[in-house]
Amino acid sequence: MNAPLFFQGRNPFDDPVDRILAEIAMSSQLPPGLHNKATQRFKAVREHLEADARFEGDVEHFYPQGSMAIDATISTRGTDNEYDLDFITQLGGRFRSMQPLAILKEIEDAYRNYPVQKVARQTRCVTLYYADNMHLDITPALRAYGRLDREGWITHAKGPNASTDDHLVDMNAYGFIAWYRERTPTEQRLAKAMRDHWLAMDKALQAAEVDEVPEQCNFIVKNTATLALQLLKRFRNIGYANYSGRIPPSVMLSYYAGMAAQPDMSLSDMMIRQTTWIIGDIEQASRYGRLLHVANPICERDVFTDRWPTSIAQQNEFAKMLKDLVAGIQAAKRGDMAPNKLMDWLRHGFGDRVVTLAADRMADEIGGSVERAEQGYGRRGGIILPSAASIAAVAAPSIVRAQPHTFFGEKI
Amino acid sequence: MAGALSLDEQRGAMKATWPKFNERGIDRQTQEIRWIGKCRPQFVTYTLEIRYQLLKYPKVRVLTPELVRMPDNPEGAIPHVYPPADDPTLCLFDPAQHQWDPTMYIATTTVPWSYDWLACYELWLMTGRWTGGGRHGSLVTNNGAEA
Repeated sequence: MNAPLFFQGRNPFDDPVDRILAEIAMSSQLPPGLHNKATQRFKAVREHLEADARFEGDVEHFYPQGSMAIDATISTRGTDNEYDLDFITQLGGRFRSMQPLAILKEIEDAYRNYPVQKVARQTRCVTLYYADNMHLDITPALRAYGRLDREGWITHAKGPNASTDDHLVDMNAYGFIAWYRERTPTEQRLAKAMRDHWLAMDKALQAAEVDEVPEQCNFIVKNTATLALQLLKRFRNIGYANYSGRIPPSVMLSYYAGMAAQPDMSLSDMMIRQTTWIIGDIEQASRYGRLLHVANPICERDVFTDRWPTSIAQQNEFAKMLKDLVAGIQAAKRGDMAPNKLMDWLRHGFGDRVVTLAADRMADEIGGSVERAEQGYGRRGGIILPSAASIAAVAAPSIVRAQPHTFFGEKI
Repeated sequence: MAGALSLDEQRGAMKATWPKFNERGIDRQTQEIRWIGKCRPQFVTYTLEIRYQLLKYPKVRVLTPELVRMPDNPEGAIPHVYPPADDPTLCLFDPAQHQWDPTMYIATTTVPWSYDWLACYELWLMTGRWTGGGRHGSLVTNNGAEA
């Protein structure tokens, strides 16, 4: 079914600032090929656990959580090609009477000989490390009966020995994902633009070409809020690349993306909106000497900020980083930054490699359009690329198309 | 030249097509006209000056902001321009291919070509590569005009 017209969204590739931001997001996110691989691994990992005699009949649910569930996966902090994917396994039966550390160790044991490079038990999950730099986190959970579907607890135990600090942590990841999805419906125009760009980059995907973006086409970001969220996560990852401690959690950023979501906004405006919302909440908390408190909107005991921030200085530091981000985007939108300065700012904020890739793609596409005389210009001289020309021509018949020409002259 | 557009025809087309460009002087004696206008093809707003003397090639300069030089770039410090180096004129077409003559409207050739140049210039500043095509060479014109 077609999405209503008012949820069509904006094509980020129509505006130069949005375009470079969208290209950066595409260079940071989990590529379609790896998304398919992650989906296959998810299935294999689940089947492995279900086939283990110690878990037989006790795996009630096994489902993706976090970025994987909302199409917001980007490369891990400080990297360009490592991806963390999160899954929840809801356990029942005998696991309901076990201690947190015992549950985590049981999962670790179940994957001891699994064909990956390394299996590591963490405080709240077990991580499978693949040779291609993909990491799968499997977090055990126990259902809280009488509450909402799949609401419950996850395990928290540092190990290696049981401790009085071990405990169960309230969570409803499943409910949060449903909340997020409801607030960020598909914007067909944006989703199609993102898909078309992926297709242009990955010929292998072209066989899947259809006119509308199917809901199950999970490798594509389907709305502007999630695209802005990816960029915000990337900005955080680069800003904290050399930190060793905890950083502003992704789920907290996802909460703000959901809160700030609004259809038909431009990507840069959405980034400003999300970021400003976070800054406002941090400043409000700091003003009263409190730590930022963000809870799952459908399970208030599930506190997203339970491990970050640990001090007011820490949250203020993040707010300052975000203010720099807003100032940079606003300057770019006003046209106050020369393109070489814009690149310096983008590289500083989003990382050298992905920004270089993004600019190279943009240069090749626009340069190619110029060479083939496919683009046009609006009355203010704004470039209108072939992808937008048919839509724009209806709205503004005054578009001037450039005739073919050949740049000449000297190198001075 | 037979079929050459008059100055008034060029003025009319400019006014109708690019209202942001203003005439800043017309000399009926020398058949010369000058337009100044603002545009923002991509990231930055530029002020352009277009000078045209009937039957000669239009000349386009960027008045603001000052063009950024990249001295070590293989395409030159600024690609696809004519000297002088401190006040270059954009080179928007290849005279050897006869891509412009006075029968053509400046509004539908020179102006969008200038925007093309600015778009490619910005991407060149961002990537170090001129991706809009073209060739470098010295100017030889068949009408003795300096492009």
